[in-house]
Amino acid sequence: MSAPIVRIDNLHKYFGRLHVLKGIDLEVQPREVICIIGRSGSGKSTLLRCINFLEEPSEGEIEIHGVKIPAGGKGKEHQKLVHEARLLTGMVFQEFNLFPHMTVLENVMEAPVIVKGVDRTKARETAEMNLARVGMLFKKDEYPNRISGGQKQRVAIARALAMEPKVMLFDEPTSALDPELIGEVLEVMKGLAKEGTTMLVVTHEMGFARDVADRVVIIDEGMLVEQGEPKEIFENPQHKQTRALLDRYRTSGHGSQ
Amino acid sequence: MSVIKKDAHAQKTQADLLYEAQQRKRLQFQIKVVISWMGLLAFLLFLFSGLEIKSSNGVTSVSSWHFQMVIENNREVRARVEEVLFSMPYGLPNKGLDITTIVVDSEFIGENIDFIAAGILQTIQISIYAILLATGLALLAALGRLSTNPLIYSLSTFYVSLIRGTPLYLQIFFFFLALPQLGIILKGLWAGVLALGLNYGAYMSEIFRAGLSSVGKGQREAAMALGMTPTQTMRRIVLPQALRFAIPPTGNEFIAMTKDSALVSATGFVHELMWRATKVGRAEFRNLEALIMAAIFYWIMTLILTSVQSRVEARLAKGDR
Repeated sequence: MSAPIVRIDNLHKYFGRLHVLKGIDLEVQPREVICIIGRSGSGKSTLLRCINFLEEPSEGEIEIHGVKIPAGGKGKEHQKLVHEARLLTGMVFQEFNLFPHMTVLENVMEAPVIVKGVDRTKARETAEMNLARVGMLFKKDEYPNRISGGQKQRVAIARALAMEPKVMLFDEPTSALDPELIGEVLEVMKGLAKEGTTMLVVTHEMGFARDVADRVVIIDEGMLVEQGEPKEIFENPQHKQTRALLDRYRTSGHGSQ
Repeated sequence: MSVIKKDAHAQKTQADLLYEAQQRKRLQFQIKVVISWMGLLAFLLFLFSGLEIKSSNGVTSVSSWHFQMVIENNREVRARVEEVLFSMPYGLPNKGLDITTIVVDSEFIGENIDFIAAGILQTIQISIYAILLATGLALLAALGRLSTNPLIYSLSTFYVSLIRGTPLYLQIFFFFLALPQLGIILKGLWAGVLALGLNYGAYMSEIFRAGLSSVGKGQREAAMALGMTPTQTMRRIVLPQALRFAIPPTGNEFIAMTKDSALVSATGFVHELMWRATKVGRAEFRNLEALIMAAIFYWIMTLILTSVQSRVEARLAKGDR
């Protein structure tokens, strides 16, 4: 086994007095697709947001592509490490968060030009390439308010990809979408997985987890209770929290796809 | 025949008919509003027309009063003169009815209108300088309020509190009269611009603060996740959206400022509309006429600016938000 590309070591997170993450350990191999599953409020989104320091972890350490970032750091040095972590990761949000004052193409070009200082012509080429990858090149001159939710999320994926991250983080990418729009986004994500993109996906889409994930991780009350291949987890869950969680998905019809 | 008519009618759906009825109602309302406005305007004109309608002792007459130079005791004075436009030998008995209106000195208006109108340019000039200063200050104050640095935060809140806690009139005099005592002498124009700019900046900081907070947290997070620094996030993502939000209310402030710039006349050294109106009005004891002229100019300026403003607003609303 090669060296992990992401290593999360004894991660704790407190929100005021609330202990949200209670010592999470997780290693992600290159090209691996991991689905993180748990009830709402279990801490799965917080875990994802700690990896690129949108939430500052309280204790523990995160290592991405050899860059070690201890929690609770302060000052310029820490800022630099956090910046590196953000360059190494791309994030896709539940609410898309496209920039409404820019066209689709500008949304995708913005960060490479501003953050990496890529030349505009080159950034445009990369942006168009990535938009083509998610099937959104035909809307490149539209403003975000003129496209559907599924299209917005695909653009958001292209925007993250344009920074050429080592790891893609998906925070419930289909939860804000109308049911008929979920499929197109999952298709794009499947495509990325096939291309060998390392992905960490917080999701309620059990079908996607079963078909695409290499590993499923179950988070409950801030702890990693179980992990394994999707087949093992779905067919033979070891922990009663996992069983309860999967039962809930089955009865609510989320599992079928 | 009636069958065909019915068919033609049936082509319109219920929704169409309802919509048409609504449109008709709206149009009728608008027409009535325009007529009422014109009526009110006509009444105002009549009020200042100098006409007098009398009907007493069996005579009815309409006459027009105006000011004219007359020789009185060998001296030339400007006095009110009556000119009968129309009369007839029927009317109400005894004292009857007498409607008089306000007589304005049209000759005075004719002589001084150019002098007062020349102040429009100065008024606009002050307003533009002051709004530019105010916008800059408001933006700084709004950003300062978001700062985590206690000194910057305090500076911003202190400024807003101090300025909002004192009258604009006092601030104008402070810059004009109090500063020279400290050896700082500002030209009247700049004292006025400084006072207006500082004052409006404090009030407008609320507009920019609202603009900044209208940009969702998700926007900042998305920018940060892409590796943008806080400064880049502010400059590229938050500010452009916040400013677009703030343009219409800033336009309103500008309109309000063109009128508040009249207070600067109190310093006596800025020859804008109000100063000119009071100057000629006092000199010839024709304050009524002078102030009416100034009022009309302010009103017209406001009407024009308001229509520009609503056009800008409509364009922004249609835009790419």
